[in-house]
Amino acid sequence: MEALLQVRGVARRFGAKQVLHGIDFSLRPGEVLGLLGPNGAGKTTCLQILAGTLAPSSGSVAIHGHDMVRAPRAAKRRLGYLPERPPIYPEMRVDDYLAHAAALHGLPTRDIAKAVQRVKRRCGLQQVGPRLLGKLSKGYRQRAGLAQALVHEPDLVILDEPTDGLDPVQIREVRMLIGDLGRSCGVIVSSHVLSEVQAVCNRVVILRDGRVLHSGPLGDSAPTRALRVRLRRPPAPPQIEGLPQVAAAVPDNTPGGGPGVFGIELAEGFGADQLAKALVGAGWGLLELTPARSDLERIFFESIGAEESGA
Amino acid sequence: MIAILARRDLASAFQTPLAWLLLAAMQATLAWIMLRVLDRFTGLEPLERSAGLNLELAHNVFGSASVLLLLAAPLLAARALSQERRDGTYAMLAAMPLSPTQLLLGKFLALALLLLALCAPPLLLCLSLIGAAPVDPGLFVAAALGLWLSGLLFAAVGLFAASLTAQPALAVVIAYGLLTLLSVVNRAEQIAAEQTSLLDWLAWNQHLFWFLSGVVRISDLVYFLLMTTMFLAFAHRRLANLYFR
Repeated sequence: MEALLQVRGVARRFGAKQVLHGIDFSLRPGEVLGLLGPNGAGKTTCLQILAGTLAPSSGSVAIHGHDMVRAPRAAKRRLGYLPERPPIYPEMRVDDYLAHAAALHGLPTRDIAKAVQRVKRRCGLQQVGPRLLGKLSKGYRQRAGLAQALVHEPDLVILDEPTDGLDPVQIREVRMLIGDLGRSCGVIVSSHVLSEVQAVCNRVVILRDGRVLHSGPLGDSAPTRALRVRLRRPPAPPQIEGLPQVAAAVPDNTPGGGPGVFGIELAEGFGADQLAKALVGAGWGLLELTPARSDLERIFFESIGAEESGA
Repeated sequence: MIAILARRDLASAFQTPLAWLLLAAMQATLAWIMLRVLDRFTGLEPLERSAGLNLELAHNVFGSASVLLLLAAPLLAARALSQERRDGTYAMLAAMPLSPTQLLLGKFLALALLLLALCAPPLLLCLSLIGAAPVDPGLFVAAALGLWLSGLLFAAVGLFAASLTAQPALAVVIAYGLLTLLSVVNRAEQIAAEQTSLLDWLAWNQHLFWFLSGVVRISDLVYFLLMTTMFLAFAHRRLANLYFR
């Protein structure tokens, strides 16, 4: 399948400050790519370059093979972009705003009303169609911004921190929407929240100081050997280490831990199922058995750690 | 695309109190000035009058209107462009399949139509005398045309200033500075006795004066067209460069 988005050696400097160093990746339809990194890693600059609102100092971005610098209008035709701040006109009504966005994206006049209805349904804006954007809550504004990016059914959607400032219910809705989008088009989501990327993305690019530290798929890596267990009747750690399945056990005193919670390193050749069986067999009352860190957390801290040890 | 952009900007001006306030202020100020002009004419014998009513009205009412437009146009232009950049809506427009030319012309078209609406109060005020006095409609239409062309120049300067900064207030200050320069540039004539025809040509008020006298000269039309195009071209350069900032 032809790549939807092709990013080759994109670098950007602002004056003397190099913000991005040679970013390379590509995106295919149906992929949801998480652009992850600490604040100030260059995520927003990278997305601005991908969306064609900022020129790269070197390198190229192509959407459907159209180069963003040489043929910007062809490249942007199938693109939807939600900037960091929802781009709304406070004096406009939601319906008019979406119709305006649809017209600017080049939808024929006869299709606009239908497209607005469709995107309102998709983003949960049916109730607020006649209301002024300036009078809406932050969550609805964010959704209106999102709807603006989706009204023309783009092939590539770029979302800069789409759940920033939303409440947990709204975050869940936006995540479901992104999952839904990922079935039909390519999506790039930036975030500094690991759980966010873990929840919606099937690929991740980790940025730090403008460099790609890691780029790869999520969810099909080997099972972790670091586990976390919660026991109803906890024994002393040496007793747990006495089990053949366990290489090391330490009480977990981090905020999420507490009495009865242990971090366990599996011994070579054993799996989580065998550990569970042994813990239950010992009669300690197994309450929880989870990976010590999520898949993504591991990748993130390993790649940042790798960079720090290499530096 | 240009029409779509212009329609939104124009609707936005009339959905907020802005356009109405400007129209009301214009109407109130000009009506007052017109009453003062008429006051001077009532009771005088024809021989005691130094100038015709039509010319007096054109110079006073339309002349004051041009100063009001000079104050209003930079505000409207800053609202159209700087504010979009400050509020983040410009980022949305920049990611859409629009060229900087379309974007700028869309903004300019909206301003041009809004200024056309602002040219209506002085014209209607003066034409309201039809039947009561020997009014020369042609003179007033020429004056309104000159007023509108001046407004277009002010709007182009305003858009150029707004393309320089994302702070609307700063954009307005820059535009006022540029327009003040364009208003007084011919005063240098009074300081230096040398030939200052170029400086004289650069000042917009010289050209508007002919329109207010009912004379539509090609050279004045060319002046407004050239200067407006020049400032729009500067603004276009700036917008195109925003991508490479």
